[in-house]
Amino acid sequence: MSDAAPVADRRTIRARWHWGWITPPVLLVALIGGSAIGETNIPISTVLQVLGNKLLGLDYPVGRIDAGIVWEYRLSRTVVAACCGAGLALSGVVLQALLRNALADPYLLGISAGASTGAVAVTVAGVGAGAVTLSVGAFAGAALAFVMVAALARAAGGGTGVRAAGIIVLAGIAGSQLFNAITAFIIAKSANAEQARGIMFWLMGNLSGVRWEDVEVAVPAVVLAVLTCLWHVRALDAFTFGTDSAASLGIAVRRVQVILIGIAALVTAAMVSMVGSIGFVGLVIPHAMRFAVGVRHGRLVPASALAGAVFLVASDVISRTLVPGQVLPIGVITALVGAPAFALILIRGRTTQ
Amino acid sequence: MKLVYSAAFLAANLAVAAPAAHAQNTNYPLTVENCGQSVTFDAAPQSTITVGQSATEILYSLGLADRVVGTSVWFNPVLPDYTEANAQIERIADNDPSFERLVNKNPDLVAVQYEWHVGPSGIVATREQFHDLGIPTYIMPADCDTKDNTTGGDGTRIAAFSTDSVYKGIRELAAIYDVQGAGEDLVTGLKDRETAAIELARSLDLPEGLSAAFWFSSADLEIDPYMAGQKGAPGYIMDKLGIENVVQSDEEWPTVGWETVAKADPTVLVIAEMDRRRFPADDIQKKMEFLKTDPVASQMTAVREGRLVVMDAHAMSVTIRTIFGLETVAEALAGFDFKQ
Repeated sequence: MSDAAPVADRRTIRARWHWGWITPPVLLVALIGGSAIGETNIPISTVLQVLGNKLLGLDYPVGRIDAGIVWEYRLSRTVVAACCGAGLALSGVVLQALLRNALADPYLLGISAGASTGAVAVTVAGVGAGAVTLSVGAFAGAALAFVMVAALARAAGGGTGVRAAGIIVLAGIAGSQLFNAITAFIIAKSANAEQARGIMFWLMGNLSGVRWEDVEVAVPAVVLAVLTCLWHVRALDAFTFGTDSAASLGIAVRRVQVILIGIAALVTAAMVSMVGSIGFVGLVIPHAMRFAVGVRHGRLVPASALAGAVFLVASDVISRTLVPGQVLPIGVITALVGAPAFALILIRGRTTQ
Repeated sequence: MKLVYSAAFLAANLAVAAPAAHAQNTNYPLTVENCGQSVTFDAAPQSTITVGQSATEILYSLGLADRVVGTSVWFNPVLPDYTEANAQIERIADNDPSFERLVNKNPDLVAVQYEWHVGPSGIVATREQFHDLGIPTYIMPADCDTKDNTTGGDGTRIAAFSTDSVYKGIRELAAIYDVQGAGEDLVTGLKDRETAAIELARSLDLPEGLSAAFWFSSADLEIDPYMAGQKGAPGYIMDKLGIENVVQSDEEWPTVGWETVAKADPTVLVIAEMDRRRFPADDIQKKMEFLKTDPVASQMTAVREGRLVVMDAHAMSVTIRTIFGLETVAEALAGFDFKQ
């Protein structure tokens, strides 16, 4: 009995060591891979020369178009893909823990439905008359939907406990249905097929419009999310046993709920408005990581963030290279690659238990 | 009554269509094989409804504006010659019309530009629904002759488009309306313009390996643009003028990354101008601004050398305007300096 505490401590320390050492090299490889592989064939030596010129101030002679493609298009895109993957995976971790619902994902709170409505309102219905960009419309829609869902959940009351979690889920479903219906209405009313196809392409997730300005939004959002989650790992652990247990462990239930759900919503809205709603990552990466590193959030939070980042960078590379000369929606790839992979994890998880 | 009417029309045709001496009169009932279906006409249609601007404009060009009672699916303003005539005719819808609105006008022909409006999964209705009500339909052959419309979206060209299918559509419509003289005149006029444009390009002694890309629009400015594939109207224009398309796809309007376009570095970039304002990139000014400011697109040779051609968006689809597009590109090439 007296041995238990030191063993647990050592384990925690080893776990910290673990991800602290693993994360930088894995991220570096992912970023270089994302910059090196793309629609067109640029030799890896050229890619490294461009990165050397830009990052280390070296002076290799490289073609201006190659340099532009690697630095302006691919690297910025890869960084944002990594941020999106990490952000969505963390939102999934937070919502699954807080709502104690295995099916919770970042879009549960009506955010992607609201973003779709905002995007469609701008591009199809012509709100803003060409002055408002698709991203701004999507963010506004996402924010509006979340506020409505939160207000509904609050109005429906339920205080804390299982009932409150259930009410948030139900409010999210109601909000999503409402905004999906508005989207369908706008498309049916005023879009022709070509227009609807253009917007569907975006709704399925698309990273091709990403530039360095987006990095300036994505990186701070994800850093904020990671730090907030790491700060609250104990609370997240406590919530998995229910709000009552969390309260009895001295967690300020209401405050933690507001902060964490707010952060999850903010990060998701930021990502959706930049790249559309990429499915699967936020739902499945947290589950996959629970199988891999266990349910303790001290490990689950960094592991999910890293796995989400790498998964989305890899999916983006595949989406750019699977059909030569054409880019597929990344949401299609995340589901195509992710669903079988997750099925394997589920089956293996069952046999080892 | 009918006799008087067609006699009057015959006289009008003879007056207008003097050069086309070989033009015949149509013997009704006339059966036309059209996009996989047989359509029979007992007499020339008197009240037509059009679905698609191209079908509308071909009827106007045949001098049949007085037989059109309603139009729909517009992309651009009507050709300047027909502004007045068009103003007299009810515009049923800017985009897709509803089946009941069409049927309610009691047309004796529905002339259609795109098969997906009335095809097997037609968004207006299926051809059978019209035929069940005794309303014949005619789809412009340009949209089905060399094209597989079952692939969804804008469809896929199975063989390269050629203006022959546009001429075929003009001739068939001319036969249906018994205005074959006007049909021949229209075809001859268009063919002359086509030949002249090709001759002009040939006389320019253009450099070897001249390449181009046609940018229609983009869902968002920085996102992958819709670029013309190999086999549609732009493919035809490039083929006729001896230009290579940097986009390899056979899709009508595939999305192609700027990375691919920039890397292929086309000699000339053709940009669509349209009145549509759905996406920011529909605006030609926004397109130009993007090309000048994007860190990679601005490095393309065509942009640096100012070899940008502005073209009517409707000329990039398979219509009589394709031939005007051919002229636009040929004339633009004449103004460019390829020495650098």
